[in-house]
Amino acid sequence: MASFDPYGILGVASTATQDEIKSAYRKLAKKLHPDLNPGNKKAEAQFKDVNKAYDAIGTPEARAKFDRGETPEQQEEAFRNRRSGPFYQETQSGPGARYSTSFEGFDPSMFESLFGEELYRGRRRSSRGDDQYYSMEIDFNTSVLGGEKEITLPSGSKMRVKIPPGIREGQKLRLAGKGGPGTAKGGSPGDVYVEIRITPSDLFRRVGQDLEIDFPLTISEAILGAELKVPTVDGQVLVKFPKGLNSGARVRIKGKGISSGNGRGDQFAVIKIVMPPKIDPKLEKFFSEWATESPYNPRTGWEK
Amino acid sequence: MSRFYKVEEVAKLFGVKGEVIFNFVRREWIRPCAHATQEFDSEDIARVKLILELIEDFGVNDESVPIILHLIDQLHSLHLEIKNLR
Repeated sequence: MASFDPYGILGVASTATQDEIKSAYRKLAKKLHPDLNPGNKKAEAQFKDVNKAYDAIGTPEARAKFDRGETPEQQEEAFRNRRSGPFYQETQSGPGARYSTSFEGFDPSMFESLFGEELYRGRRRSSRGDDQYYSMEIDFNTSVLGGEKEITLPSGSKMRVKIPPGIREGQKLRLAGKGGPGTAKGGSPGDVYVEIRITPSDLFRRVGQDLEIDFPLTISEAILGAELKVPTVDGQVLVKFPKGLNSGARVRIKGKGISSGNGRGDQFAVIKIVMPPKIDPKLEKFFSEWATESPYNPRTGWEK
Repeated sequence: MSRFYKVEEVAKLFGVKGEVIFNFVRREWIRPCAHATQEFDSEDIARVKLILELIEDFGVNDESVPIILHLIDQLHSLHLEIKNLR
């Protein structure tokens, strides 16, 4: 390893500036990155060399150390620590890979056009079973809280599907190995994908991890404040509304939203003040007196 | 490596702020394996690593990341298909 020459690997002079080294590294790394060359062992090995070289001279500090003569063993250590873990492509080369097996836009007809339909379907069927696609409608509450639902497959068999809380419209649940049986020489069975459709709720709207509900108040409730039952996905809860709420005000009901990694989101009651069905003479009389006594202008700044 | 990682742990692993990782999820570049609890498996983590390499090492801008990810996924899926055909 005495011949480790990062300048040579990156193709720069030993007098090159840091910027020149960086741009040489980027140029090579872009060409050789394992994810852009899946299965190309030569490119992968070269990529590792290039990274090792860049680790050695990519920063002024590391470069000073290298020029002073640090041992290659320490260099190698540095590369391993820089960013550990497998390359992305190493996680995408098996049948269990989620991103490359379920990314949108994959169209098997691409292969049929490449290899001819007969050949493609025939060869494919000979090993792994078919993937099967279903869709399932769930109600809004289940989409928020999660649950279990039974689906009946065309074959007549039933399957219980576990729905995680917080699922979104159009999300696909993958049931590994529940698809068509593998045929011949121990082919593995295909997968079942269940696409989720959510029946919208009359009451709730989803906003990120929070829920919103329009909440009507009478004028007296808005003026005096009130303690009222508010529907949530967990049932009714008693909420205290302070006096003087405006239309459009959002009152937070903690922890009644959608589950995420950091606990649950919140629900917001969006206030809507509703007039009485009939303005009676008593109300009219009270307000005409009150308005002259304590006028206020909610449109300040609008004159001109 | 079959355990799941929380966003904060993933951020620590790569020495970046949690918001960076949250941002990847929000833009749907990463679809965490356990969606509801936002937990990452090794596949998600390798993808985070790839995205960080694209942005930090290659100078790819935010507009281009999803295009590159899409092409890479397509490339890998074609590889898988070809493997199945053999």
